[in-house]
Amino acid sequence: MAVPENAYDQLQAVHHEPTTFIAKYIWSGDHKVIAKQFLWGGLIFLLLGGLQAMFIRWQWAYPGQPVPVLGQIFFSDSGGIITPGHYTSLFTSHGLIMIFWAITPMMIGAFGNLTIPLMIGARDMAFPLLNTLSFWTWFLSGLMVLASFMVPYGTAAAGWTTYPPLSGNAGTPGWGQSLFVLAIFTTGTATIMGGVNYITTVIRLRAPGMTWDRIPLTVWGQFLTAILNVLFVPVLAGGGLLLLLDRWFGTSFYVAGALAGESAGDPILFQHLFWIFGHPEVYILILPAWGFIGDFVSFFSRKPAYWYKGSVWAMTAVSIMSAVVYGHHMYTTGMAPLLGKSFMLLTLIISVPAELLFLNWLHTIYHGSMRKTVPMMFALGAIFVFGSGGLTGLPLATISTDLYLHATMFVVGHFHLTMASAAFLATFGAIYFWFPKMFGTMMNDRLARLHFWFSFIGLNGVFIGQMIAGYAGQPRRLYDPFQYAFTEQLLGINQITSYFAFFLAAGQIFFVINWFANIFGKREPCEQNPWKVGTLEWSVGNPTPVYNFAKIPIVTCGPHEYSNPECIEKLGKDWQGQWETLDGSEPKLPDPVVVGHHHHEEDDVTDETAPAEE
Amino acid sequence: MDFIKRLQLSWTRLGALLVLWGLPVDVFAAVEKETGYDMPRDVSLDGHRITWLINITMWFLVILFVIMVAWMAIAMFKHDENHPAEYDHGDAGRQIAVAMSISAVIFLVVDGNLYINAMKDLDEVFWNFSDVEKNPDTVRIEVNAHQWAWDARYVGPDGEWNTADDPVTLNDIRVPVNRPILLQLTSSDVIHAFNLPNMRIKTDAVPGTMAPLWFQAKETGEFDIACAEHCGSFHYKMKGRLTVLSQEDYEAWVGEISHQSALAYNPDDADAHWGWPWKEL
Repeated sequence: MAVPENAYDQLQAVHHEPTTFIAKYIWSGDHKVIAKQFLWGGLIFLLLGGLQAMFIRWQWAYPGQPVPVLGQIFFSDSGGIITPGHYTSLFTSHGLIMIFWAITPMMIGAFGNLTIPLMIGARDMAFPLLNTLSFWTWFLSGLMVLASFMVPYGTAAAGWTTYPPLSGNAGTPGWGQSLFVLAIFTTGTATIMGGVNYITTVIRLRAPGMTWDRIPLTVWGQFLTAILNVLFVPVLAGGGLLLLLDRWFGTSFYVAGALAGESAGDPILFQHLFWIFGHPEVYILILPAWGFIGDFVSFFSRKPAYWYKGSVWAMTAVSIMSAVVYGHHMYTTGMAPLLGKSFMLLTLIISVPAELLFLNWLHTIYHGSMRKTVPMMFALGAIFVFGSGGLTGLPLATISTDLYLHATMFVVGHFHLTMASAAFLATFGAIYFWFPKMFGTMMNDRLARLHFWFSFIGLNGVFIGQMIAGYAGQPRRLYDPFQYAFTEQLLGINQITSYFAFFLAAGQIFFVINWFANIFGKREPCEQNPWKVGTLEWSVGNPTPVYNFAKIPIVTCGPHEYSNPECIEKLGKDWQGQWETLDGSEPKLPDPVVVGHHHHEEDDVTDETAPAEE
Repeated sequence: MDFIKRLQLSWTRLGALLVLWGLPVDVFAAVEKETGYDMPRDVSLDGHRITWLINITMWFLVILFVIMVAWMAIAMFKHDENHPAEYDHGDAGRQIAVAMSISAVIFLVVDGNLYINAMKDLDEVFWNFSDVEKNPDTVRIEVNAHQWAWDARYVGPDGEWNTADDPVTLNDIRVPVNRPILLQLTSSDVIHAFNLPNMRIKTDAVPGTMAPLWFQAKETGEFDIACAEHCGSFHYKMKGRLTVLSQEDYEAWVGEISHQSALAYNPDDADAHWGWPWKEL
């Protein structure tokens, strides 16, 4: 059945350019503006979380000694010294801030928003108002976090995992812990709003021809992450709400032992609720990174992604399995042996799809023609750190080896290499890659490469150092880790590790300069498609209009068509845009197109007879 | 010289006396320090299983990582812009079969080795509590964790738990060498974790529930007990001492401690009666 040529253009509204400052920059429904809002917000919290990390590293290198310069600002009440109370607040809020207020808004809030509509050929998200609300709800939650530092007794201090009874009133009294839990609940609401939007947009607003096997891997990563968020953030929110009831109304869902009296609950219930969310969460924070990496290695190897469908299936398999491996966080809680052993087997199995992803990336770069651009360096760096971090997960997945390694610095090093370092490098790779799309100019290459090498060397030094200390038995979360006979000799390695951390922090200055100079300085306009890649966001000019596409593009091929001899011959370039045909003709609507839910017999007839016409 | 010799001798005598009295032995022997970045000295009968499994896995991981980095290095330095890219989608049957086979081999060798050995180690040793419970040599200890210390309780001569003659200690757990030690762990406030790196084990102490843990020391000496679960501001100060004694020394000590505990027993001090009837598993 024939479809009118302009049918797709009529299905999505063309928004007008906003005219007031507020409509343009504050209360905007434009996914590109919301992406920038999330990016700014995430970067500010990344600075805060990073500063906290430096204080923790200072304490582990020079326990109990005053922090130079900054100590007088942040720890003035104790003469610049980090006290045990400060320290517990530092590592607690460092973890929560980095996860919920830095990585999530940057990687998902910013780049999910920026890439999904542009890469699938949509004019905006499915629900622009929900998108606006999602950002401002997240913003509100950020204010709660900042407020939690100002109240008596200070901010949350029960660890990022917030295990009760320590996270109850008796363990962490005051408003700080409550505000933080409420902030997690609030940002969870923002995440669910975003997730619903992302899922709907990917399912409903793909341009004609953008079939499921032509979606860029970046969009697959964001889509799967959105599904995990919508499924599992409510579990965390529910668990957090019960904790708030315990704190505010004296219920005892999680209280047991001497504090509980007659009406005892179960602290382990919280751990189940937390990790049913918490393990998918580590995939939530890595799936978008896998998407960026999968696309970048293809773009900059000038080669189609090796076994694209295998990568998509692997990412889908990991997403499905992510919910049934969480028990490996709880091996030492005295869980039923059959349950523990089942979680062990499932956790070991989840390594298989991750291996397939790695093989696909390695095959792609090996059979390609590598251009060592800045985004490519960040993608390769992310593969490197995710390789070491992922591999070291195996002895943690296994119960008997975990009996020794659990709760040591080995765990801290492992998960920082995967969900922190890989997410960090992939996200900054994404910033450098899409900066021309967001701001119409390229970032400085030399500064970006300095930023890469400082970050790459720093991240590896810090987290490999932590794994060495953990292998030697250093427990995590110790104010002064050198209290025990088996940790006394580890001061040296902790100091070296801290120097790498300070090196990492120092290297961020190159990014800060590059960022401000290119946003507020004189912008050299760059060409429309500076990387010479074929995904749809590069088919529209800068500045991109609020509606993205005046005419909805018709998609002709997959996202990774590079070095096709036919394309080189006919188009004279090594890449084919997803909007281009090889013979230079106007792309035609896929035939047949089924609009809506009607499925006529004549469509089937057309389908069967189509090859015969050729 | 003679004076010093006499002094040493008298110190030894005094030491023997103090040990007999159940006073802290810290003055004589400190916990042996570790050196280097290896795992702490393993003094348990079965810890070598965990040490071996971690170390062999590390070697597998190093090999895989080196292969990955070499692969990346060739791509970076040989297959750069001077190397033509292959226009190929990597989805031919043969290519998929190769990728699946490599993953399967890694899974079977590395993950398989971990899984089989871990199952064996858990069933034979670390989660095999029923054999330990049946063993007549087993020494049973109840441990109650709280901010920021470990209470330990042994059963007294009357064979009943939570009675006046129970030997009760604080941050001081003494056990005989070469006998299985079975612990039941709980906590009265927040979650703690009983961590003995020198025995390669740890288990959480959770309020409201009881978790078992067992080990067997193969040499005498003193070792630190750490807490492995964040339990508040002074988590890092929560340190206990495990002393592994010869059978004779242990018997002398436990008898003396029982006697002292009975003397110090206060029937009105409810907090001190935190023990529970031993829970057979």
